[in-house]
Amino acid sequence: MFDPSATLQLIVSGLAMGSIYALVALGFILIYNAVGVVNFAQGDFVMFPSYIAVSFVLPSVIVFGTVVHWQLPLIATYLLVLILMAAFGLLFNRIAYYPLRDRGWLPVVISTIGVSIFLRNLAQLIWGSQPIVFPSLFGDASLSAGNLHFRPQDLLILGVAGILIVFQYGLFEWTSLGKQMRATAQDRATAQLLGIRVDRIVAITFIYSVLLGAIAGLLVSPIFTVTKEMGGLISLKAFAASIVGGFGSIPGAIIGGLLIGVVENLGGFYISTAYKDAIAFVILIAVLLIRPSGLFGERVSEKA
Amino acid sequence: MPATRKKFLLASAAASAAGLAFPNVVLGKGEPIRLGLLPPITGAQALLGQQEQEGAKFAVDEINARPGKVFDDRPFELVIEDATSDNQSAVGALNKLLGENVDAVVCPVLSTQIQAMAPVMKGRQEPWMTGGTAVKNTQLGLTNIFRCRASDGITAQAMTGFAVEQLHGKKIAIFHSSEAFGTGGADQVEASLAKFGLKAVAREQYPNGTKDFTAEILRIKQAGADVVVGYIQNPSDVAVILSQYNSLGMKTPLVGSPSVGNQTAIDTAGKNSNGMYCAQDFILGFNSNVATKFVTGFYNRYHHVPDVSTGSGWVYDAIRLLADTYKKIGSIDKTKTALALHQTKHWEGVLGDFTCDAEGNMIHAMSIGRIENGKVSLVKKVVVAA
Repeated sequence: MFDPSATLQLIVSGLAMGSIYALVALGFILIYNAVGVVNFAQGDFVMFPSYIAVSFVLPSVIVFGTVVHWQLPLIATYLLVLILMAAFGLLFNRIAYYPLRDRGWLPVVISTIGVSIFLRNLAQLIWGSQPIVFPSLFGDASLSAGNLHFRPQDLLILGVAGILIVFQYGLFEWTSLGKQMRATAQDRATAQLLGIRVDRIVAITFIYSVLLGAIAGLLVSPIFTVTKEMGGLISLKAFAASIVGGFGSIPGAIIGGLLIGVVENLGGFYISTAYKDAIAFVILIAVLLIRPSGLFGERVSEKA
Repeated sequence: MPATRKKFLLASAAASAAGLAFPNVVLGKGEPIRLGLLPPITGAQALLGQQEQEGAKFAVDEINARPGKVFDDRPFELVIEDATSDNQSAVGALNKLLGENVDAVVCPVLSTQIQAMAPVMKGRQEPWMTGGTAVKNTQLGLTNIFRCRASDGITAQAMTGFAVEQLHGKKIAIFHSSEAFGTGGADQVEASLAKFGLKAVAREQYPNGTKDFTAEILRIKQAGADVVVGYIQNPSDVAVILSQYNSLGMKTPLVGSPSVGNQTAIDTAGKNSNGMYCAQDFILGFNSNVATKFVTGFYNRYHHVPDVSTGSGWVYDAIRLLADTYKKIGSIDKTKTALALHQTKHWEGVLGDFTCDAEGNMIHAMSIGRIENGKVSLVKKVVVAA
């Protein structure tokens, strides 16, 4: 039975989750376009900065079994996290990718899996196994109008994700750096011939991808609680989203993420919650059957 | 070389002399009793693993510090293997543990892992101590498994009875995690509801680690439920569920499984857990002297309140019960130990009175508590005959 108020709430929360899937999917796509590999640590780039952030947001946190009091103002914490994660993105590029760049795609993929396992275990070692609550800017308040109830954090996620998507469009379309990133993604050899410092651009792409994950983490932490597994399911759905959108397509990753977020919510409500998670993958299979290159992917024809 | 009468007599004399000179070695006096522990140290359930290890180390240190240790000056020695959070790894960890000559095993708390490990456990004599609450765990054809917590049958009966009789629920919805624990618990709730002539108006499930429960909660709302019975496995999921429950304007009372009253869950959920009900093996301030002593000692050692029922308490009880049983029979013979554990009657543990039934269930009571300002207070106690 159609329920308009429930449908509206499901769409808003679906779009919010979908925005997170989209940000993580963009991280997948940017690294894939730059170096031709899937980064399996992308979900952990959501988790790790969230842990760093709570260490500075809360009055006291247990770090390596010792209570520390590092509290900083929220904005200072966000800036610190972004700076640290940018440095981490560069380190990730130099350690996990750069030494293996000429050995084909498989060693790099294995290397990203290694980084994922390392980050999860490092998080457990530093912060322990207890889930940690990230305080919301809005406290426990919810926005209500009649039968409609929304979390303010969902609306914040939608707003920030929207701004980021516009920023990214501007970056790629109107800046020299963005054009160099696009050129490197399209054809590394030609970009190098044109004088683009490809390794530097790839390193910047890694940093940008890590930052996208970090922003996603900072946005969802207040509604998720911070645990070392928090990025797992997100990255799985984001990966599905990037394939639905057409692997390699930036608009595809965004639309794919939003589509999965909304459809799994509506499907869970109108069909069955037992199949809610399966719905993302049913969409994936359906899209691949009808349009194997994804919704926005380029058709690739093979010559005989 | 053929054995001769002379050689046999010489060997016997040497053995007797060794016995006189080193009686402790021959009788096993002072020799450690190897106790296997299979907590999920890594993976999604690492929190439970941390709590289990804390409970185990606390119990072992306490027993080893007492005069005579377990018995005959024999201390416990913990042998720990990581069961992680999946079934395949748990089976691998168990096989490794069994290769290390352990005398008894404290199994994982996750029912799904116990059920996966059962084929390896079958035919072996080690006493298996567990806190896994799925009813099926003690119906796997193992005669030497002992459950140190109330089963889901008792929990579901207590939760459903409370929802119907105390909260006057007529339209009850079930909300549960989709793995063995949550599904088994939800089945038990349905069976208990049937005894009241009721059928759940909604049964919604989610996989562990889900972050958006809007669809599940709105379906329960749409079904017009007047009470929600929640069978939730992960304490870390509880905070997310309760936060969304409140933010979606749900005023329907929720009666949750023990993880809802888990101290970590309460601390994480904060104000969102106020007014919720939960089934509890243990409620702080309402149990025995053993419990008070445990909670005080634990806090002094670890500087945080223990998660008694789901985490450290049942492990502490399991190890103390084993120690008392070994002491009573003066042996660590596996068959004799299992037999003696089956004869347990009114042994006082942190989680209450331990009396073993034919299946190996030790606890036959469950309390319902109400959460308010970070604490659980007793509302009702349900005792089922052993």
